[in-house]
Amino acid sequence: MNVWPLKFRDMPDGSILFCDDAGAFFRSSHGFLDRYAADSLTALDESFLREGNHGFDREFDLPWTSFAYRWARRQARPTRMNYVILVPTLRCNLACGYCQVSRVAEKARGFDWSVETLAGVLSFLGRLDGPDIKIEFQGGEPLLRVDLLEAVRDFCRGKFPQSQFVVCTNLQALDERAWAFLDADDTFISTSLDGDRATHERQRTHGSAVTDVFFRNLETAVSRYPEGKISALPTVDVADPPDFNALLDNYERYGIRSVYLRPMNHQGFARKIQQGDNVLARWNGLHSEFIELLIARNHRTGRFMEEYYFSQCLKRVLRFDADDHVDIRNPNFFASDYVVIDHDGRFYPTDEARMLSRIGRIDLSIGDVETGIDRAKVDLLNSGALNHFDPDCVHCAYQPFCGTDVIDDISRYGRIDVPRPDTWFCGRHLSLFDKVFEILYRSDEPTRASLAAWLGLGRWDDSMAPAHQ
Amino acid sequence: MIPLRIKVEANADQMFVVRLRSFEGVTREHKAGQLTPFDVVLDRVGPEGAHYVGEGGPIRILGIDPANVDGDVLLVNPRRGTADRLIRSSSRHNTFLVTERCDQICLMCSQPPKRHHVDLFPYFETAALLAPEGATIGISGGEPTLFKAQLFDFLERVLSVRPDLSFHVLTNGQHFGEGDREAMSCIDRGRVVWGIPLYSRDPVVHDEIVAKAGAHEQLLENLAIMCRLGAQVELRTVLMRPNADGLLKLASFIAATLPFVRTWAIMQMENIGFGRMNWKTLFYDSSEGFDIVGRSIDRVRSRGIDAWLYNFPLCTVPEPYRSLAPATISDWKRAYRDECNGCSVKDRCGGFFEWHPANRGYSKLGAIQ
Ligand code: SF4
Ligand code: SF4
Repeated sequence: MNVWPLKFRDMPDGSILFCDDAGAFFRSSHGFLDRYAADSLTALDESFLREGNHGFDREFDLPWTSFAYRWARRQARPTRMNYVILVPTLRCNLACGYCQVSRVAEKARGFDWSVETLAGVLSFLGRLDGPDIKIEFQGGEPLLRVDLLEAVRDFCRGKFPQSQFVVCTNLQALDERAWAFLDADDTFISTSLDGDRATHERQRTHGSAVTDVFFRNLETAVSRYPEGKISALPTVDVADPPDFNALLDNYERYGIRSVYLRPMNHQGFARKIQQGDNVLARWNGLHSEFIELLIARNHRTGRFMEEYYFSQCLKRVLRFDADDHVDIRNPNFFASDYVVIDHDGRFYPTDEARMLSRIGRIDLSIGDVETGIDRAKVDLLNSGALNHFDPDCVHCAYQPFCGTDVIDDISRYGRIDVPRPDTWFCGRHLSLFDKVFEILYRSDEPTRASLAAWLGLGRWDDSMAPAHQ
Repeated sequence: MIPLRIKVEANADQMFVVRLRSFEGVTREHKAGQLTPFDVVLDRVGPEGAHYVGEGGPIRILGIDPANVDGDVLLVNPRRGTADRLIRSSSRHNTFLVTERCDQICLMCSQPPKRHHVDLFPYFETAALLAPEGATIGISGGEPTLFKAQLFDFLERVLSVRPDLSFHVLTNGQHFGEGDREAMSCIDRGRVVWGIPLYSRDPVVHDEIVAKAGAHEQLLENLAIMCRLGAQVELRTVLMRPNADGLLKLASFIAATLPFVRTWAIMQMENIGFGRMNWKTLFYDSSEGFDIVGRSIDRVRSRGIDAWLYNFPLCTVPEPYRSLAPATISDWKRAYRDECNGCSVKDRCGGFFEWHPANRGYSKLGAIQ
């Protein structure tokens, strides 16, 4: 039998995790590592490796074909543009201390789509093929321009058999027209909810009257719409994290069971805020703590909540088809299935790229609605948008599950060739995948129950995470 | 039970295909625009049957309400005075039985093979072209790929003329080869699903169930070919006593080595054909022993491979797994029992095979409140 190359990594309990390039994995011992390295596998080793499809006899035989299939499926290669993030206005009626989405004052002029820009956006959407489209309205506060939102939505409903709209709103100022816009079944709400009331007020609303308005509107939306219509994200300040228990209680109260915990963003205006030393280690610690809290809480209440990004990483470890999330996939080619259009009609590969450009550090725009997408610039960015040939990633056991974030590298280091282990992205993902594997190999009942729920299974049993002596 | 064969009278020597149309409340001009040379239109209904007229000549249908056969495509055998309802327009379960020959003799075969073969492909092609918009048509046997040249031609032609149709072909997977690359590349692979049985990870168990030495080895080789040809495979495992113990091993094997299957279907047995004969030794009561089934399905699903329970009455499945048990028993084979009265999930439940034995089946079942 020819064994496919295995990469390995120490696990906290003294055993070793082995992974192949197609993402199959198992836990084993130093003894096995020695036998593997010395090419002296026993019959038992061989039969274990065969059962896990880690080797083959002949080219094109079934195990060879299956490995090739799994490897190929792990490569994300979206080809059709079907997700467009629109910023019809940069104006906002809040001024969050660390605004994620660089904004201007509500009364500022010249930060909304012009008539020509709207026409350009519609004509861009009109040239997209395919049966479906997802539009995300970002800002600023997009509901300050319901008229533009209506124009886009009407156009998409006429052009695509299926269309879906998400309004990212701070829920502060909702007039009748805004509510009417949100009422439609094809329209969803995404908002920010930073935890308990005190944290939300400290980080966003800065005054109890404004906070009241937010919670009142959130309550109204929750009572008015079915579960699943509203999603929310908390932004966590590493230097001053919220009480996670209170955060989860609050989310559950509003019928939101999936929480995407985000560290305060490094781009936009947030990068100016000093978060102190060793932010990475502290973030990783907080995140890990949050996962433990979730497991314990799920076990206690019998009602299952998840941390969205952790679930996504978990799925990427176990499955070859979990590349539907743009924050983690490999390759992560730009402007292939989604793109951002700013208030001035310029295209950006991601929302972070838009913010980074706005603070004047670098121009990451990739064309505009008049001239189209600048493919030369996209290709340049794409040259770094995969981890296959990275000199550090090629030795990393987590490579098949991991991804890249070119924009984040540019934002933090001004370049994309910093050694992986020195980057925020790598530090975060090493820790995330360490946590994933720690949990996969745990056998207490609370962990099993959460694993099953996060993966949509009836039950998780220990043998689903393979182990060998 | 829904009849698949009906009585007809027609003035012809040879078999022919015809589509019945009723057109109640439709104007004459409108009718004309919708008719093909294979259509006959309801003219009158009397005590002696329903009369249809059209280019293919008059025919008379007996013993069935014309409202129930409107749009049906029939293969008429005038000498015998019968017609097979090749396509029932109101049903999602239409299957062409293209041959009764087979090179395996599975222990629980519901349609035991016969030597005799009549080539009906030309009729099937005509019928498929008359199918309702968007239909999925089943192809079954016997073993359809014993006539794979005709089968590939048939699929290629129908799929290219009718971009809205899809096929589901039941095959034992023994007869594919690298040589099929060209034929396979001519058909739209996205619209053909190949339903292929694999009973066990253990070659001995599989070969015994299908009564063919070497079948398991050949099958695995051919599954690799199917993967490389880009064919969509639905892997089917009928759950029986001889293979139930090995189900979890099979699940691990699928998760590790058959990741390319589009679906894995664990199926309950049908008490007909050999299945009826061998019922006592084969039937596995999954209402008692669901644990192995649940673990197996979770094992495969944990790797992102789709897995489902076919032909399981919902009340025999624990609640967390019920969403994985669609109503798969074909409408014309389906029956409910007294126990089903007042069951809250009856409209989602496939019930039982009509011929399911009352006293030798599931030990635990009954209406879900
Ligand atoms: S970025 Fe870091 S964690 Fe991810 S594959 Fe590369 S080395 Fe591994
Ligand atoms: S009682 Fe009948 S209808 Fe209800 S789940 Fe059982 S078989 Fe299905």
